[in-house]
Amino acid sequence: HVVRKFLSLISSHNIPVYLIDPLILGLVDKDIEQIRSSPGGPSPECKYFCAPRDFTTFALLDKTWKPEMGLFRTAEKMGFQWLKIINKDPRLDGMDDLSGIEIPLHYIFKLASHAIHLVVFYERSGNYLWHGPLRLKQHMDRKFVPFRKLHFGRYPGAYEKPELLLVSIDDLKVQIPKNPSSFLQEMSHSRFLECRYREARAFFQLYPDDASLDAVEFRKKAKSLLHLAALTLNNLGVKFWLSSGTCLGWYRQCNVIPHSKDVDLGVFIRDYKADIIPAFKKAGLPLKHKFGKVEDSLELSFQGEDDVKLDIFFFYEEDDHIWNGGTQAKSGKKFKYLFPKFTLCWTEFVELKVHVPCETLQYVEANYGPDWKVPVKTWDWKSSPSNVQYNGVWPVDEWDDVIQIY
Amino acid sequence: MDEWKPNLATKPHKKRSWYLAWKYKLMNQRALRKLCQTGAVLFLLVTVIVNIKLILDTRRAAYEEEEESAQDYDDEMLNVEVPRHPVNNKKVLDVEVYSSRSKVYVAVDGTTVLEDEAREQGRGIHVIVLNQATGHVMAKRVFDTYSPHEDEAMVLFLNMIARGRILIFTVKDEGSFHLKDTAKNVLKSLGSQVAPFLSWRDMWTFVGKKGGEVYGEKHAKSPALSTWGDPILLKTEVHLTSVEDAECHWPDTELNRRRKRFCSKVEGYGSVCSCKDPTPIEFNPDPLKDNKVFNVPVAVIAGNRPNYLYRMLRSLLSAQGVNPQMITVFIDGYYEEPMDVVELFGLSGIQHTPISIKNARVSQHYKASLTATFNLFPDAKFAVVLEEDLDISVDFFSFLSQSIHLLEEDESLYCISAWNDQGYEHTAEDPSLLYRVETMPGLGWVLRKSLYKDELEPKWPTPEKLWDWDMWMRMPEQRKGRECIIPDISRSYHFGIVGLNMNGYFHEAYFKKHKFNTVPNVQLKNVESLRKDTYETEIHRLLGEAEVLDHSKNPCEDSFVPDTEGKVYVMFIKMEQEADFTTWTQLAKCLHIWDLDVRGNHKGLWRLFRKKNHFLVVGVPASPYSSKKPSSVTPIYMEPPAKEEGAVAMPAVPAAEQT
Repeated sequence: HVVRKFLSLISSHNIPVYLIDPLILGLVDKDIEQIRSSPGGPSPECKYFCAPRDFTTFALLDKTWKPEMGLFRTAEKMGFQWLKIINKDPRLDGMDDLSGIEIPLHYIFKLASHAIHLVVFYERSGNYLWHGPLRLKQHMDRKFVPFRKLHFGRYPGAYEKPELLLVSIDDLKVQIPKNPSSFLQEMSHSRFLECRYREARAFFQLYPDDASLDAVEFRKKAKSLLHLAALTLNNLGVKFWLSSGTCLGWYRQCNVIPHSKDVDLGVFIRDYKADIIPAFKKAGLPLKHKFGKVEDSLELSFQGEDDVKLDIFFFYEEDDHIWNGGTQAKSGKKFKYLFPKFTLCWTEFVELKVHVPCETLQYVEANYGPDWKVPVKTWDWKSSPSNVQYNGVWPVDEWDDVIQIY
Repeated sequence: MDEWKPNLATKPHKKRSWYLAWKYKLMNQRALRKLCQTGAVLFLLVTVIVNIKLILDTRRAAYEEEEESAQDYDDEMLNVEVPRHPVNNKKVLDVEVYSSRSKVYVAVDGTTVLEDEAREQGRGIHVIVLNQATGHVMAKRVFDTYSPHEDEAMVLFLNMIARGRILIFTVKDEGSFHLKDTAKNVLKSLGSQVAPFLSWRDMWTFVGKKGGEVYGEKHAKSPALSTWGDPILLKTEVHLTSVEDAECHWPDTELNRRRKRFCSKVEGYGSVCSCKDPTPIEFNPDPLKDNKVFNVPVAVIAGNRPNYLYRMLRSLLSAQGVNPQMITVFIDGYYEEPMDVVELFGLSGIQHTPISIKNARVSQHYKASLTATFNLFPDAKFAVVLEEDLDISVDFFSFLSQSIHLLEEDESLYCISAWNDQGYEHTAEDPSLLYRVETMPGLGWVLRKSLYKDELEPKWPTPEKLWDWDMWMRMPEQRKGRECIIPDISRSYHFGIVGLNMNGYFHEAYFKKHKFNTVPNVQLKNVESLRKDTYETEIHRLLGEAEVLDHSKNPCEDSFVPDTEGKVYVMFIKMEQEADFTTWTQLAKCLHIWDLDVRGNHKGLWRLFRKKNHFLVVGVPASPYSSKKPSSVTPIYMEPPAKEEGAVAMPAVPAAEQT
């Protein structure tokens, strides 16, 4: 039916789309072994594409095609009505004063009561794919399709580049992600936040950027340290996010804060793995100190190149808040930093796809108070944060375990 | 928005102090008049506050409007229809043309489309081309026909205009001194009665249709050599034709739709808009086998020279192995016509708001373009950087495809450039030969992403530093001893003259006689020998086989090099230390090659061709190759010219740098 027509349209124009429809992929995933092993065999019934729904969603990689009017003319001749959603190119959003840059983000082809939603994916710095949000401009037909029911477009999303597989389902040859279940898993956590470039520019108007050689050097080191840390943690499958000063740098100025001296990451304690320390050592980042223990206030610091330090804070979830701990080495004093609950979103930072708390403002405000927009050069981690609480003292007999300095 | 808050917070405070003052003043009987004043000031203050709030609110509203809520797909924005300008159905245009010594203007239906009263600028004949159906301005030029050769450019331009277009001419200051007969005849053929007799400081205006009727002409003769003709104002009417008549009837294809859009908007591009036999806008050159640069992005840096851009893109799109999908044209400013050219060829273009002035503006434009390029093509390890005033050799991509792996593997390399600063008609010979040089030529080059991202971008000169980007890149702090690979025969040709940093004489002297490769599919030889260490072996081999020239002869004389072909010769010049280029500069001058600064050197060695022989110049004793000098040979020393001459030559140096 409509899907068949669409696929013939697409293939007649040599446009390499792949299926990302969650409903169909969900069905396909159940029979994935069978589908993989029997390419091209005729199937008796229409099992997948005929499942009742309003849309079928396909993806298209931007760099594999060029939008030409011919495609849309043919579509119209075949009876399709179509809608294009364009918006600013986020890859150029971080830059001053460029214009002329709007890119297609979504296409919808409608025939009778069914519609094809074609999501355009763009490659971005950090080796990942991005799709944009679906926002209607004022002159657009709001009733073209029930937009709210679309599976893609409520938020922008970030994905790994998928491996594709050509399969034949319901007698239709179509490309699908090689592993549908992990794609669906990824889809549920794909929400992407763009850096606040406009606010960052306003920030730099007020506080001109430090362009000294030291600052340039530190940023370079911090960037490569972050890349190395991300690689190491991703290989271990440990989910992490930008925390403290690194998160503030992303949120406030879309860059590393040059006077911050270290790189800070957050990890949920439930994601802790004992391999973390040996893995970092292997990556050339020896443990510098370890404070606390898995049950309480764990914090790891690794020594990067030339005095740049990597701090990993472990976060403990409570019913109504999340916290991480701090320890003063010489006194054994404990501190607790409280945050409102948050979820994780993807973002791009120094050419890396990383997580940040989706509720970034609350996170940053909890840590740095309402004046987080004003740069502060002297920062005392024991007293400056607005969410710090004194949390007692480690018992002296535990010190050897909870205060390890190398 | 938040930075406004502190301001707002202070206002109530201020009010209270005014209130206290008022209370105090009331007790003072004599202060009644002052009370009135205070009241007025208070009123003013309130008005100001209300206004500020109003401004803030509108701003916030505008801000929020852009910040689309993530929750809502169909957020209720006002469903206002954008008002369309009513289509002007008027069939007649009122045209006013003014000509005088210090000012010219042209108004079409009351809208000024040309106004020039700047001093010491815009001298000569101004030409405006209107679309005969819509009345839109399609081209605007000025030809300084007081100066030589400008009339030839005007003839060229007028010949390229399609029949039927409306042409408007007006003279500012002087337009006859170098207006030769050919040009006068062309003007006559357009219907002008005055043009053939136009003379010194006459004022003249003319409106006519190309190949058709004359709508008006006025002329004011200059009474004497020392004075100008009186200002004249020509008012006339032009009858518009139908759009159908104004357009060509090409077959309806994707390409022709682009062509039609372009040709109904701009003029002066010749046969691309010819109805009968339009020149192609798609070229489909042969693909390259094993093309290593197919996925390398190409950034074309452009300003407002659309005719140059047109020529440049034609040659780029005709080069074998080009991948149009990877090309982005970056236009410095909101100029429409360059964008029209970009769209004609179906390429993507980005406009960039100018930042800063002069050379710093170019420099900021470069930075924005390079950053955007690597953002748009995150996978790219390299970018090809081109400028709008270059012709691109047919084997440009083949040349890069064969050499790019060196840039990837050899960390001692800074760039690959298509341009040999010393590659003139008489000094370049071998299209398959490459060199390593310590200078960065630019003019069509490849930049490594890591170099840009890790080193250049973070410390790129800021807008207030009025630096040339290329001079900055050549500084030792940036180059760090690394070298560029260049071909003996350039793969680009610098045709630009009307640039920021160029004047006609300069271009004539230094660029016109540059050699440019036109041979397709040149197989480069010995590419591996361009690596850091193997190159030294190669140089030693060359010097070993080179015949030492007769150092008693004058190196400027043609007879210095024997009448042979295919031999290798070496000469030794005096070079006291690494930065002593006294003799080299004099030698370069007499050989008529680039002498404005030092280019093309590698460890005190220059390589070029003379009379089809490879010609090596070694600076002694600074060059490590000095050891090859036979003890009997005394290095040649050439005296720099007397001071005055130097002073004349020097101002050209800064001007040379957009190269």
